[in-house]
Amino acid sequence: MLSRTPENPGDTIKWLSQELKPSFDLVHKPLHMDEKHAELLYIKTVVDGTQLQQLVIKPFFELATDQHVEAYLNSLPNQQDITSKEQMLLEMTKGSVVILIRDHLLLMDIKKVNTDTVQQTSIEPTIQGPQLSLSEDIATNVNLIRQRYHRPSLVIETMELGEKNKQTLAIIYDEEVVLKDVLEQVKRKLKAIKIPIIQSTTELQRLMNDKRRSLMPTMMMTERTDRVVYNLASGKVALLLDGGHSVILAPAIFFDFMTSMDDKYGSYWVTKSLKFLRYSGLFACLTLPGVYVAATSYNPEVFRVELALSIAGSRIGVPYPSFIEVLFMLMVMELLTEASIRLPKAVTGTATTVGGLILGTAATEAALASNIMIIIVAAVAISTFVIPINEMSFAIRVVRYILLAFASLGGLAGLVFGLIGILMYLTQMESFGEPYFKMYWQTKRAETRKIQT
Amino acid sequence: MSRYFFYLVFVNMIANVVASVPKILISHREDGAIVSMILSFFSGLVFCYIVTRFFNLFPGQGLPELTRKYLPRWVSFPVLLLIAGSWYIAGLITLVTFSFLLKRFLTPDMPLPWITSTFLLFLTYGILMKSRSVLYTIEFVLLCCLPIIFVITLKAYTTPELRWDFIKEAVMHIYHVPDFSAFSASTYLLLGGFNLIIFNRLFKREQHINWKNMLFIGLAGGASLVTTYFVPIGINGFESIGGIVYPWITTSDALRLEFFVVERVLYIFLLLYLAISFLSVLIHWHVTLELLKSIIWFKRLRWKKRNLTPFLFIGLFWFVSLEIVTYLTEYQLIEYTRYFLNYLLCSFAVMFGLFLFIKRRAEV
Repeated sequence: MLSRTPENPGDTIKWLSQELKPSFDLVHKPLHMDEKHAELLYIKTVVDGTQLQQLVIKPFFELATDQHVEAYLNSLPNQQDITSKEQMLLEMTKGSVVILIRDHLLLMDIKKVNTDTVQQTSIEPTIQGPQLSLSEDIATNVNLIRQRYHRPSLVIETMELGEKNKQTLAIIYDEEVVLKDVLEQVKRKLKAIKIPIIQSTTELQRLMNDKRRSLMPTMMMTERTDRVVYNLASGKVALLLDGGHSVILAPAIFFDFMTSMDDKYGSYWVTKSLKFLRYSGLFACLTLPGVYVAATSYNPEVFRVELALSIAGSRIGVPYPSFIEVLFMLMVMELLTEASIRLPKAVTGTATTVGGLILGTAATEAALASNIMIIIVAAVAISTFVIPINEMSFAIRVVRYILLAFASLGGLAGLVFGLIGILMYLTQMESFGEPYFKMYWQTKRAETRKIQT
Repeated sequence: MSRYFFYLVFVNMIANVVASVPKILISHREDGAIVSMILSFFSGLVFCYIVTRFFNLFPGQGLPELTRKYLPRWVSFPVLLLIAGSWYIAGLITLVTFSFLLKRFLTPDMPLPWITSTFLLFLTYGILMKSRSVLYTIEFVLLCCLPIIFVITLKAYTTPELRWDFIKEAVMHIYHVPDFSAFSASTYLLLGGFNLIIFNRLFKREQHINWKNMLFIGLAGGASLVTTYFVPIGINGFESIGGIVYPWITTSDALRLEFFVVERVLYIFLLLYLAISFLSVLIHWHVTLELLKSIIWFKRLRWKKRNLTPFLFIGLFWFVSLEIVTYLTEYQLIEYTRYFLNYLLCSFAVMFGLFLFIKRRAEV
């Protein structure tokens, strides 16, 4: 297909090189042989040199005439449509080559991408299941998803995001099963985004949130292709940004965040027990600090006498009320968690060892915290890590302090109120029109297809 | 029927313990409690059936929508106001009773207004939610509580402290003329279905209540009615139960879990019923708020694009609750509850009249 621009092609080339002039890596190369003439214009740092040599330069010298070369170039699958000068300029910055031959302009996509190595799963590891996650290149990622989901109804729409850096964003869904109104909403929200620079898929998540202040995640970030495919097949929409190593899925409800992909691969009872374990972990890490405060300061009579006495006994010498003790220990624990995330890998070990030692023994020996408190803090910390999706575990960490505050103000009754309060907060939330916290008893279709209640 | 309908019915069944129903029944144990219970069981089921059938005719519409369509405003306004008032008081009774319970058993150091305010704080958030979210909340809390309540009931029936002789003694008083208060108190158990006056808005799909549903409600209602009345008598004794203010609390304190972290069932029971009675108030007041919103709405009362009318009602709710909770004594509370339950039963005559009228007008 020939793309004729209204202006003189020579002028366009001139304009393009003018625009890109000061850069050292701009290459403007005329090719001449006998009667054959062509010009190449490209930015050499983003273009794959060997491919250019193979695809364009070598055939130029091998083929007999101008016409042959042009016909050959036009038949290459790398060829792109030309719509305007500005588009050509933008494509050149992404790695396209402009070829002038026989007064015609051609645009060839000969990108060099160095971010297309597929990485190991690091955020959501599983025992069984695929071990590779995504890369940071959109073409490779789409390839990874397509290779796992062979269906003609899989639609991949692209759009550009970010007023300055113009990143490519892919909206991926299965046309047959996708929830139509969710798709509408996603597209509408994406169109409304006005931001100069966007770097990662996760950033989108925040931009697409209607509420300015939110606690719980309403879209799920994942790096696992099997999770993406599983969710696509059940009708969700996946968003993938070029340069991002993760996909976000919408809509996402509370229980999605408590599912690990291993649940699909284990046997029935193993999976059920693991799920039970996970939810008890969630419950424990939410309530334990509160229960400790309530049981020591408000209602020691609730527990059986032996337990109440041993708690009181271990608190002998602790010089402040229980809620300060809990808050103090929890804060140290959070600091430790935070430190081990941010530190370079080499130092993490030291931090945890030092922190563990201090938290473990020294604090009790100095009577700054009771022994039972240490056990509770440890249990809380461990059970927070049981939550499979990171964002949810961060949110739960915050919720824990809210519950602690209620328990400190109202004892066990306050704790129960707090739990109901959190529950109400969750039930009134929505993720793209889907209720966020709802029991799903019937088949998924019956519950999600707007046939409410 | 949708499962959410049953939750509405169940909450009333379970929460009756906190609404002084057992106390009223037990005070009539020597003059006709049992016959009243049997009568109320059937009449309650009939009421439940009628209200559900009525609302099945109008899927997706609550009472306010129906009155607006089929009744003149001067009729619908006072009727809806009256119903809203009844529902508010029903919630208030549970709220006040449970505040007393908390004060007495769980947090004796906290001042009463403080306890009630905590309740009200969370209720305010709850009743302002969408009706849909209220149902989801109910579902989850019930899901957590029902198994434990079932275990406690089982424990109560199997404990050696339960003397069947007392129960037999209570059954011997069957030949008595039924008492109206006892009748209305035990009917209250089965009145949960009436919350459809608002929640029917959500049941958009056409549905029909069938005999299986009714049998289920009947079995559950019968079981909870029998348990409510006989278990406290069996454990505390036919004579001495008369002197107990909170029959079920004392009953649960007679139970021990020897091999559990919490030994006294009382505390588990209190925390469970804290959740359940919260739900009960939540449902009742949500209905009240929605009813009030449908008849009184100030368009001008806006602040930052938000209409403040609901907050006006909530301010009223707070004020009345805090006044009442400091004013009432436990004895008065039970007396007034008795009056209220009697009145509630009578007011259903008006309600059924309304249903009949709407049905005629709508010609369905």
